[in-house]
Amino acid sequence: MIAVRRVTTILARPITWIALLVAAVLVVLVAAPLAGLVAATFREDGGGSWADVLASPLSQNLFWQPLGNSLLVAIGTGVIATLLGGFLAWVVVMSDVPGRKIIGILATIPFALPSFAIALAWESVFRNERLGGNPGLLASMGIAVPDLLSWGAVPVTLTLVAHYYSLSFVVVAAALAGIGGDLIAAAELTGASRARVAARIALPAVAPALLSGFLLAFAEGISNFAVPALLGLPVRFQTLSTRLYGAISTGDTERGYVLSILLVLIAAVVLYLGNRATRGRSFAVITGKASRPRTVRTGLWRWPLLAASLALVTATTIIPGLVLAVSTLLRRSNDLDGGFTLHFWLGESDPSIAQGFRGVLRDPVLLQAGVGTIALGAAVALCAGALGLVAAYVVRRVRSKPVAAGIGFLAYVPFLIPGIALGAAFIAQFGAPIGPIPSLYGTFAILVVAGTAASLPFAFQTSRSALGQVSNELEEAALVAGAGTGRRIGRILLPLSARGVTGGAMLVFVTMVRDLSLVVLLVTPATPLLAVQTFRYASEGFTQHANAITLVIAAVSVAATLLARRLQGARRPWTES
Amino acid sequence: MQHRIRWAAVAAAPLALVLASCAAPAESEETVDAASMNYAALSHEELVELATEEGEVSVYAFTSRIATVEEAFEAEYPGIDVIATDISSTEQIQRLASEHAAGSATADVAYVSDAPVVITELVEEGVLLPYVPERVAGSLADEYQTPLVANRLSTKVLMYNEEAHPDGSPVDNLWQLTEAAWAGKVVLVDPNVRGDYLDLATELSLQSDAMAEAYEAHFGEAIVLEDGVPDAGLQFLKDLYANDAILTDDTDNVNAAVGATGQDAPPVGFTSYSDRRDNEDEGWALQVAAGVAPSPGIVFPAMLGLTAEPANPAAARLLIDFMMGDDSETGGAAFEPFYVAGDYPTRSDVVAPADAVSLDELSAWIIDPQRTAEVRGDVADFLLTIQ
Repeated sequence: MIAVRRVTTILARPITWIALLVAAVLVVLVAAPLAGLVAATFREDGGGSWADVLASPLSQNLFWQPLGNSLLVAIGTGVIATLLGGFLAWVVVMSDVPGRKIIGILATIPFALPSFAIALAWESVFRNERLGGNPGLLASMGIAVPDLLSWGAVPVTLTLVAHYYSLSFVVVAAALAGIGGDLIAAAELTGASRARVAARIALPAVAPALLSGFLLAFAEGISNFAVPALLGLPVRFQTLSTRLYGAISTGDTERGYVLSILLVLIAAVVLYLGNRATRGRSFAVITGKASRPRTVRTGLWRWPLLAASLALVTATTIIPGLVLAVSTLLRRSNDLDGGFTLHFWLGESDPSIAQGFRGVLRDPVLLQAGVGTIALGAAVALCAGALGLVAAYVVRRVRSKPVAAGIGFLAYVPFLIPGIALGAAFIAQFGAPIGPIPSLYGTFAILVVAGTAASLPFAFQTSRSALGQVSNELEEAALVAGAGTGRRIGRILLPLSARGVTGGAMLVFVTMVRDLSLVVLLVTPATPLLAVQTFRYASEGFTQHANAITLVIAAVSVAATLLARRLQGARRPWTES
Repeated sequence: MQHRIRWAAVAAAPLALVLASCAAPAESEETVDAASMNYAALSHEELVELATEEGEVSVYAFTSRIATVEEAFEAEYPGIDVIATDISSTEQIQRLASEHAAGSATADVAYVSDAPVVITELVEEGVLLPYVPERVAGSLADEYQTPLVANRLSTKVLMYNEEAHPDGSPVDNLWQLTEAAWAGKVVLVDPNVRGDYLDLATELSLQSDAMAEAYEAHFGEAIVLEDGVPDAGLQFLKDLYANDAILTDDTDNVNAAVGATGQDAPPVGFTSYSDRRDNEDEGWALQVAAGVAPSPGIVFPAMLGLTAEPANPAAARLLIDFMMGDDSETGGAAFEPFYVAGDYPTRSDVVAPADAVSLDELSAWIIDPQRTAEVRGDVADFLLTIQ
């Protein structure tokens, strides 16, 4: 009788139903593809690939050593990116350093640039003579660059940091903006020093955001293929991602899937450790008594802080952006000696250049691809943003720990599943009609569904960190006043966490418009996308054309970023950024 | 309570939208009795007539040159729309297999490289079927007809920098690459990352007798294999890796490393012979080391296949027929995008482009995809142990 009543009580709570719905969606979008991946590794040869990877003469070079390298790179990326992103967020949101608005805009751009652009920028300075061809700037000035700086762990990690510190910046900046000035004023009244305020108030208050930023940068760092392949292979620096990609592209998909499942497990461990570190503490700083954030006066320190911030955003945004832009104007790919031309942007077909391919702006499908890309990015940002927010809310409110942990896990791992496997899973699930529902295959909708699955971690992590700041007392007050679950989300949680949630949606948008690996399996010529256009050019070695499209993608991403910032400003006029 | 439910529904709406959003109705299948149709018995005109009734044909292609084929085909057959999707061979294989398994819409024709994987994953599984147009069967050697018809051959061969070595290849025997003079001076894409380079490594193993002979010709003594090394080809790879061969991720990187002009001591590297056509464009000085003993590398096919149940069976056959080239000696407009110095037409009645050494002079090994497929995995594993 008591049990029945308990079940009835649980079922009466709307949160139970929302939790069930979120769980069901995550099962379809994430758990099913993941299960398919596991099943595939046992189908062909009864799990022999597991033995190959984990316990065979190959394991050392196939798994253990790449594992060490991957952890080195991913932890390095996570830690340094979080420190740099956090530092810049503090400068932009809390300090009085001049030019912080510009710094704030520039700090979000590296994520919108493709990681290979930053790697290319690194190479153009630090490349030594090991690989042959044209050396970088330093080597061509006669300075001997050691392999350590040109290739392997150091450049791979620093390049990924340059790319992914934006993630921490976006999440932490949103969190810092949520800290009311009253907290800091109160601390200052008690005579706390500036350092103490930073260490005891600001830092704990953004701990969930720092963790989210770290988790995202870690997962990106461990799954990135392009950078370790470009800067690692010349010194045989292999990571799990190069091994995984290599296995799949040489036709050994089972082995590749085993490696990606192991990546997911590693991520699960990191997620567990991260959550443990912050468990049981409250980070609520948004209470009923909102007040303007206070600016920290930095005095003479403002100049070194300005110099450090500017150096960072210049090295990671302006220089790679310029390298990319210049590369589209070079008559010969990556070679200044050939002179400059606008041909790859504007040129008519000329058989003597790039086998007669005309400039990208003359490509009739470019506009259509641009519109399709923006529509896809916006639709996915909306869906993933909504799903991420609701999932984060469930994790916050639901009383069952396993349910919360399960949702947290499923919402974190999707981008560790290789795009090619996720794409294949969606073909399997949606390729044929399910009962009365016609096949989604070949429609725009399946791209949105797959994109939502793949980019969910950004939306979930940012929402989780933003909601973590909102004090429970606000919701409880509303509950007492008779507001329902939806009303509490819509009228209290959403406005108060809007900055974080929009930041997350922006990250989703950017990922979606520049990422190719997932959509290439699902896209049809009826819905052309910019990322697919880059492949068209890159596959024939037309570097300039491909880079030009990449630059268009980056421009779209930056425009979206700026727009998102404006929206954030409009949502919360009572805070300045 | 009513309130709660309504708001919960609002919160849930986007989720539901994700799952159930507007799906275009699947196209109704043609009810023409395609399976029982004997296409081989049709005349060309009858095939064109059927294909025009179908009105379109969908092709997955691993090269963006398919756009040029599309233009030429639509000019020749104005009533038939070509729907081309550019997609790399690796992704194409995965996509075709997944679509076949799900029974969903798929392409009519696949133009794909990576022959060993195509055979094991697609042909043996019945995902792709052969179609050899009768018109060209007579001028195609057997190995270019089965398991799928091939329209051209590409290469992965040893290239050098002709600006630095104007008198010809600095290497005349592959085994020189294992000596101190070439330490850190041989560039190739990691065979554990790209399939065509794994095919090259596999061929070295399959040609181990020739490799042993070349060893003896170079060093003046018979080769002695190290423990755990099964053959002379793999011994070569082991020695090459031990001699600090530089691995990279992409053929373009090999080209730039080997080909860039103005280098004092450029490396040599394995890459595509046809990339030499970009020399002027890119400021390279790539030249093929033809005549190196026992062979400069491999030649491999680009293949055309029909999907198992193509929605446009006649137009699919017409497109394959078209892509084999017309009856002129260059293959005409249809073959033009593939008529490139350094690639080779498979048809004996199409004259290979000038400005490149003939296939005979090149003396590269022509891979047998079936045999390659059998030992490729072992070679990949061996390479993993010698890093």
